[in-house]
Amino acid sequence: MMEFYEANKDLLLFAGASAVKVLVFLNAVMGFTALLTLAERKVSALMQDRIGPNRASLFGLALNGLFQPVADGIKMVMKEDFVPGRAEKLLFALAPFFALVPVLALFSVIPFGDYVMVFGYKFDLQIADLPLGLFMVLALSGLAIYGVFLGGWSAKNNFALLGAMRGAAQMVSYEVVLGLTLAGLLMIFGSAGLQDIVRAQGRLLFGWLPAWGVVYQPFAFILFLVAAIAENKRTPFDLVEGESEIIGYFMEYSSMRFAAFMFAEFVEIILVSMLAATLFFGGWQVPYLYETGFILPGGAQLPLNHYLVSAMQVGAFAAKTVFFSWFLLVVRWTLPRFRFDQLMNLCWTRLLPLALLNILITGAVLLALGKV
Amino acid sequence: MISVKKVDNRPLNFLERLYLPEIARGLLVTTRHFFVNLFNPKGIPTVQYPEQTLPLPHAARERTRHRLKVRADGSPKCVACFMCQTACPAYCIHIEAAEYPDNPVEKYPAVFDIDLARCVMCGMCVEACPEDAIAMDTLEIPGGVLDRNALKLGREALLRNLAGEPSLKGASNRLANDYLKSRGQA
Repeated sequence: MMEFYEANKDLLLFAGASAVKVLVFLNAVMGFTALLTLAERKVSALMQDRIGPNRASLFGLALNGLFQPVADGIKMVMKEDFVPGRAEKLLFALAPFFALVPVLALFSVIPFGDYVMVFGYKFDLQIADLPLGLFMVLALSGLAIYGVFLGGWSAKNNFALLGAMRGAAQMVSYEVVLGLTLAGLLMIFGSAGLQDIVRAQGRLLFGWLPAWGVVYQPFAFILFLVAAIAENKRTPFDLVEGESEIIGYFMEYSSMRFAAFMFAEFVEIILVSMLAATLFFGGWQVPYLYETGFILPGGAQLPLNHYLVSAMQVGAFAAKTVFFSWFLLVVRWTLPRFRFDQLMNLCWTRLLPLALLNILITGAVLLALGKV
Repeated sequence: MISVKKVDNRPLNFLERLYLPEIARGLLVTTRHFFVNLFNPKGIPTVQYPEQTLPLPHAARERTRHRLKVRADGSPKCVACFMCQTACPAYCIHIEAAEYPDNPVEKYPAVFDIDLARCVMCGMCVEACPEDAIAMDTLEIPGGVLDRNALKLGREALLRNLAGEPSLKGASNRLANDYLKSRGQA
């Protein structure tokens, strides 16, 4: 036993650390998702001069609606789990997992901090530092189409099938744009590892401007945001499900299976926010904060403890995520929905040429600067 | 006279066709509302209804929970004529008439039920009543209960005079007034 331990010490340490990271990070994400379902209703309420849910209470304690996600969850569990008689039972049961699992798996490549030293060991604050993390993101988000399509097809309902067709067409189209908008970043940072990209954004341009992705590629950031919202199936691109009017792919789903689809959508909001923060807004980088503390452009220094620096970086990442999640909620409750032909037009005749143009210009500038 | 409203259908200019500046403008509006309401929740016009009520405007004061007026001797002013039940468009009034043993002139409602769950608060019963016996001026707004049966009002729940109301004397009917006078109650 001891020999096995001594021989595989590094492996065991890695496995243990990874398990802890998965548990902590995924639970943080799930908790934030639950709060996001409440935030969506509260933010929309405040935008429309309303109050929002504030009645759900525990032992008479309402806390302005903080227990609403719990009430929603209990309600979802108590609902009848209905399966249509002619449905493909197995695929019908699997579809919610196909929607949820790829989205959750994506969090493994997102760096939520630099590293921490514990008992002399160095732990990266990222579950899996894949050298091709960016491609992992694109590949797995492509898998999410299966959840949509299986959900719509296996119910054997023509309207659900139509919704699934719309959804698959939309997701496939915007997948292309999403990938192409990120190509510019790949060319600039020269790495597809998300941690490398974040570290590269810690540099300063002209001695004072943080070299965040949005500084290099402001245009790609807008395209990315549009494509990501479309990929996420949120308003103004929510005609996949069309909560209020159009019939969507999960129309035959009820109870927790339906909740899984909804949950996947909310997890995707967090994912898009984290990706936007990671790729374009410096991830966990705080401007002028380095491993040893603040070093301002003027030369002023403020040395800080390692743990304080790490906590600030993780906090900065969380703050950026929260900001973008809020921004996506505001976008969702501001804009009206596209028509399907407008959606396809926007993707193939506007966004795609613009994304290609962005790559061309990025390449030309890099060539002119002699960085290639 | 036909009023004509001119709609501005000019084609979108270049900035508007770009879509993004207009999106930014829209986001600015909603974001302003968000932050104004976030830091000043008192400004939100929402009323937490069952716990908190607004003073009713004038006309609405005559469209609140029903009551049946009571005479000085405690008998209902209602004579069970079924006018309100006939006038009611929601069929929410149910009356069963009965006769006084010693009164040859009037009937009285042995049963007078109003199902507030069906009532549309139109006030037609009040207008129909020839005796001015039913009124909708209690200023209580029905609804917001957890049990549907709580919305079924019986005779006893309906019979009430408002505080400070001059005690009602007599009936509008001459024969009934004569009868009441003979009993020394008018």
